[in-house]
Amino acid sequence: MSLDKTADRVIETDVLIMGGGIAGCYCAVKAASKGLNVTLVEKAKTDRSGSGAMGEDHYEPVPCDGVTPLEFVKLWQERQHDVCGDGRFVDLNIPYRLLDKATWVLDESEKIGITMKWTNGEYYHMPSGWFGGPRLMIRVHWSDIKPKLANAVRSSGVNVLERTMIVDLLTNSGRIVGATAVNVRTGEFIVIKARAVVLATGIFARCYEPEEPLFYKYQMKYHWCPASISGDGYAVAYRAGAELANMDITGWGYRIRDDLCISYGNFDHGDGIRAKWYTWDGEEIDYPTAPLYREIELKGKDPIYVSQEHLHDDYHRRMEVSFTDEKLISFKISEDRMFNPRKHRYELMENHPLNFMVPTGVYVNEDFKSSLPGLYAIGDCATGLHGCGNAALSGLWVGDHIDSNTDVASAPDIDEAQVEKQKKIALAPLNVSRGTEPIELELSTRYVCKRYVGMFKNEGRLREGQRRLHSLKREFLHKLMAKNPHYLMRALECRNITDLVEVHIAACLERKETRGQFIRLDYTEKDPSRDNMITIQRSENGQAVMEIREAPDLKPEYLKEEK
Amino acid sequence: MAAEIDYTKCNGCGKCYDLCPMDVITWNQEQDIPEITYPEDCWFCGVCWMECPKRAIDILYPACFW
Repeated sequence: MSLDKTADRVIETDVLIMGGGIAGCYCAVKAASKGLNVTLVEKAKTDRSGSGAMGEDHYEPVPCDGVTPLEFVKLWQERQHDVCGDGRFVDLNIPYRLLDKATWVLDESEKIGITMKWTNGEYYHMPSGWFGGPRLMIRVHWSDIKPKLANAVRSSGVNVLERTMIVDLLTNSGRIVGATAVNVRTGEFIVIKARAVVLATGIFARCYEPEEPLFYKYQMKYHWCPASISGDGYAVAYRAGAELANMDITGWGYRIRDDLCISYGNFDHGDGIRAKWYTWDGEEIDYPTAPLYREIELKGKDPIYVSQEHLHDDYHRRMEVSFTDEKLISFKISEDRMFNPRKHRYELMENHPLNFMVPTGVYVNEDFKSSLPGLYAIGDCATGLHGCGNAALSGLWVGDHIDSNTDVASAPDIDEAQVEKQKKIALAPLNVSRGTEPIELELSTRYVCKRYVGMFKNEGRLREGQRRLHSLKREFLHKLMAKNPHYLMRALECRNITDLVEVHIAACLERKETRGQFIRLDYTEKDPSRDNMITIQRSENGQAVMEIREAPDLKPEYLKEEK
Repeated sequence: MAAEIDYTKCNGCGKCYDLCPMDVITWNQEQDIPEITYPEDCWFCGVCWMECPKRAIDILYPACFW
């Protein structure tokens, strides 16, 4: 068979999971427990990979304070309004499911030896940094969540391919039939035949700059693991013809002078004790949203500082436990730099797009099915999902329900010509000797996003950015060089990033309005025709297709459940 | 340098090489020791530092992040 000649290895599996983070691991364990043959492909090592690599300190949503799923959907929408503006951006049945099935996830986790209980054996309920008010979040001691999940995956008989990157998905007659992959240490080219593929690669963020002050030499200092934010899942889905949603909606964030991001993150909101924000001369201000930050800058009142100095000792002690659970290295960094959050303020250095927000990603329905048969997306990779709670739930849900969808006619057919084509693209950089380093093109692409898209957009800049991106891709994508498989991984990531930035800029150009933190300086008003609309983009025979489609509202039977 | 290995303490267990999320560390087969080969890819997560049973790895915060 010529497939055996093209590939160094051919694997056949029922379910292929792309990404071994929290969503991917939960999904793998559950699918394997249903008797399915599961293959998990992870770019790093499952024991310490993804956003949970160093641990997790909080989990949400968890029902408490009598909040019903319907009330939760309302809270969820309010939170989306803060960031994205008015309207529905995703299928609202997704957030409904998140709370409706949350208790099931807690029980399922206990079954595989992962507890969400605090040291006293009870759940440690807290108000959510996201939703405020009701206690929808719990604190977890999850510094070892990834080693535990990795063990659970291995002991359930899942075939785990580590240090392996998916190049592209394989399709046949509009259906997903597998994927091609490369080992990023050995260069081994692998073909995986699968009845169903689950994308679990996390959020996309690497087209914007890292969070740190400068990136002269170290260009990967992001808040989330840089391996998991290169948009691999989004990009392979897009190229295979699946729909991406809301690629115009980036959040905003700050570069933080002192690298202790979680202390400024959810905990200080979540424990009901807020941090304070000040101008440089000590005037207390509201939480600085992107427009407020800009206003303060224009008044000459920046830098802006966030302070926890006023918070009591007990708060700081709990904060330290939080660091231990999620980011142990913070202690060392702060100690080295003589930074003490009890006495010092963090500078919010710069206002910039941080990552693609919750409504962004591979478009899915409430069963986490994408628009292509046989393709699912879970966790941050999918629209409407965010954080480890959503990752665990969507992973478990798909793992639990996938069997009824995989019983399609025997082994799926692989198009060998497609495999050949993907192999050529995947391995090409290994044969280029005097070309462009992947990081060089990646940084140029990040610059296009910073300068020509950014927080405050206008048509001229976006068009110039689009032009520059096209010329960058034309000139340098085929010249990307990789002297070994490690750099090949960076080159393939770069290909994914440039493809997604093209989608991003096209979506931004199409949204001729200002809504939430999507700010167009040339269209400062809301466009009512975009109310409750999703920006859908896909690729059809290599051509970009965009559709503005209404976001599904809650099902009538869910509305009836209000008590 | 982002991370630095103290070879007087390193016992060659390979955990850092095995776990680094960004594949910064490679394995020197001849000497049977880990090496920081791609420091520019380090994201300062501290996985190598916290998992090293001998505390033989130090994370050094560079001037450009100061």
